[in-house]
Amino acid sequence: MRRGPRALAAILVTVLAAPAAAHEAPPPGPASPLTARPSLSAIRAAPDLVLRDVGGRRVGLADLRGRIVLVSFVYTRCTAACPLLAARLARLQQRIASLPSPSRPALLSISVDPERDSAADLRRYAARFGADGSTWRFLRDDPARVRATLLAWDEGTRPAPGGELDHPARVYLVDRAGTIREIYALAFFDDRQAWLDIQALLREP
Amino acid sequence: MRRTALLTLALVALTAVAAFAETCLSPYVKGLRQPEKVMYVWTLPAREGADYLSVIDVNLASPTYGQVLRKLEVGSSGNEAHHMGFTDDRTKIWAASLNTSRFFIFDVSADPMSPRLVRTIDDVPRLTGLSGPHTPYAIPGRMLVSMASGPDGTGPGGLAEFTNEGEFVASHKAPNHPYETVVKPEFNRMVTSSWVPQRTFMSPLDKWDPKTLSDTMLVWDLKARTIVQELKGDPVPLAARWMLKPGATYGYNISNGGDSLWMFRMQKDGRFAYKKVADTGKGCLPGDLRQSPDDRYLYVSCIGASEVQAWDIGSPEHPRLHDTVGGIVQANMMHVTYDGRRLYVTNSAISSIDYSPRYALRLIRIGPDGKLKLDPLFTVDFAQAPVGPARPHDMLLN
Repeated sequence: MRRGPRALAAILVTVLAAPAAAHEAPPPGPASPLTARPSLSAIRAAPDLVLRDVGGRRVGLADLRGRIVLVSFVYTRCTAACPLLAARLARLQQRIASLPSPSRPALLSISVDPERDSAADLRRYAARFGADGSTWRFLRDDPARVRATLLAWDEGTRPAPGGELDHPARVYLVDRAGTIREIYALAFFDDRQAWLDIQALLREP
Repeated sequence: MRRTALLTLALVALTAVAAFAETCLSPYVKGLRQPEKVMYVWTLPAREGADYLSVIDVNLASPTYGQVLRKLEVGSSGNEAHHMGFTDDRTKIWAASLNTSRFFIFDVSADPMSPRLVRTIDDVPRLTGLSGPHTPYAIPGRMLVSMASGPDGTGPGGLAEFTNEGEFVASHKAPNHPYETVVKPEFNRMVTSSWVPQRTFMSPLDKWDPKTLSDTMLVWDLKARTIVQELKGDPVPLAARWMLKPGATYGYNISNGGDSLWMFRMQKDGRFAYKKVADTGKGCLPGDLRQSPDDRYLYVSCIGASEVQAWDIGSPEHPRLHDTVGGIVQANMMHVTYDGRRLYVTNSAISSIDYSPRYALRLIRIGPDGKLKLDPLFTVDFAQAPVGPARPHDMLLN
C-alpha cells in the first residue's frame, strides 16, 4: 500500500505524541544532543503582535512582558511539520505545568492561514493536542492583521502544491524582557532542549 | 517495539524523499527538488571593476540557456568575491568578500531572475573582531559566517553570527582559521574546517608563511556555541560534508595540503574519530568536495591536477575512486543538482593563487552508473566576458 503524506504525518504524530517520559534523553553530556548551557544570545527585539485567541479575546505579546513566551506559526491543513510541532509543544506544556504559576512561560501558536483556519478549526486543533487555553493559546485574526504580523516576524507564506503553505516555520523563544533569544527550525524542534532553554532563561536575574 | 517500527518506517520514508534534494546546503535551507532555472555566480573581475553577481540562465527549455542574463555590481572593487549562502528561508543570498571582509545581501524572493542588492555591511571587523569571511551558513533566522582571522587579518578567527537582515548578534572565537561549517541538528553538533589567516591567503602563494597553515577541524556544541573537540590531520582541511541521511554519524573533508580525503565520525560516547581514508593523488590540491543526494558518491575537484574525481563511498571507510574527468584547468568550486545528474564547476580559486586565466563555468553530466562526462556544449566563458575577463567562484541555484 502506498502511503501518502497524510498517512506519514499520522504515523509521525503517533510516534512523537507519546508521553514525555518515553522521550527522556540522557542528561546533557558528550553523547546527548541536549545542552544545559545554551548560548541564547540576544538576537533582536520581538515584534509586537496583537491577535485574537479562539475565544475572540485579544492577546498582545506586550501584555505578556515578564513571562517567557514561545511563539510558533502553524496552520491546521499542514499535514506533516505542524502536527509534529504541536505534539512536541503538548509535551512542553506538560513540563511547564510543573512550574509555579507566576513563572510559567506562555505558548502562542499563530495560524498563518487565516482565510481557511476559522476560530472553530483552531479550537478543534487546540483541543486535539490538549492546549489548555491558559499556558498554550492558538491565535488568529482577520487576514490583513495576520499578514502584518507575519511580515513583522519575517514569516511570509507562499502557496504550495496540495493546498499547503510554504512558510519558514520557525519557533521563537522570547525572554521576559521581550527579546528573541533563540530561533528553532520547526523540523528540528526538540521540546527537551526548549525546556532546558526555558530553564536557562528562568535562571537569569 | 511497534513504536520503533513506526519510527523506522517514517524515517525511511523521509530519507526516500531526501534522496531527491539539492545537496551541500545547510540542513535548515530547503534544497531544490526540481530542475534549476537560474544560477548565481559570485564573480570578481580579473582586471578592474566592481565585483558582481552573475545571473545565468540554466533552464534547459529557455532560448537563452547557458547565457549570462545580467550582472549585478556591488558598487566596490577589490573585494575578492568568494563564497555565498542562502538564508534559511531562501529569500536572500549572503555573499562574502575575502579581502575587504564585507557582506553583500541580495534579495532573490521577489524575482529570482533579477536579484536585488538590499544591504552591504562594510564594518564587519569592527562589529565582530574578525576578518576574512569564508562561508555564510544558514541557521534558523540567522547566518553563521566562518571568519579566518582576527580584525587585522592575522591570528585566529572564529564564527560571526548575524540576523538574516544583517544585524550583528555575536562572535564565537576559534583557535584556528575557520573555513567551512557543517551542522547535524539531530546531534546538536557542528564541525568547522580551517585554512589560513586573511593576510596569508591574500598574499601570492610563494609568500605564504607555512607556520600559519591550520591542520585542525573543530567539533562544536551547536547550541552552546562552544568547542568540544579538536581533530588534528593533514594541513588545510577545506570543504567538509556531513552525510545527508537522518542520523548519519559521519562525514568527510578534503585536505588541500595533504592531497587527501578524511573522515570524521561521531562514536557512541559522543567523541569524534578522525582519520585519512583516501589519497586524492599527488598534486591534486583538492579545492572543493561535494556529495550526491543519495550519499553514494563524493566529488573532489583538483585545482592542481585540473580534474574532477568521483569517489564511491558505498563502503564509507574505504572510498574507492570511481571515475575521473579532466580538461577543466584549475577546477575548483562545484554544485550538484537535486537529481544528482549535473555537476557545475567553476575554475577560479583566489586571485592570489590562480595560475590560469582560462576562467569558465563548465558542466559535468553524471550517468546513472555514477560515471562523469564533461558536456562539450555547455561553457560560460568568463575569460571572454563582454565586460572583460572575470573570475567565477561560488555558485547557487534557484
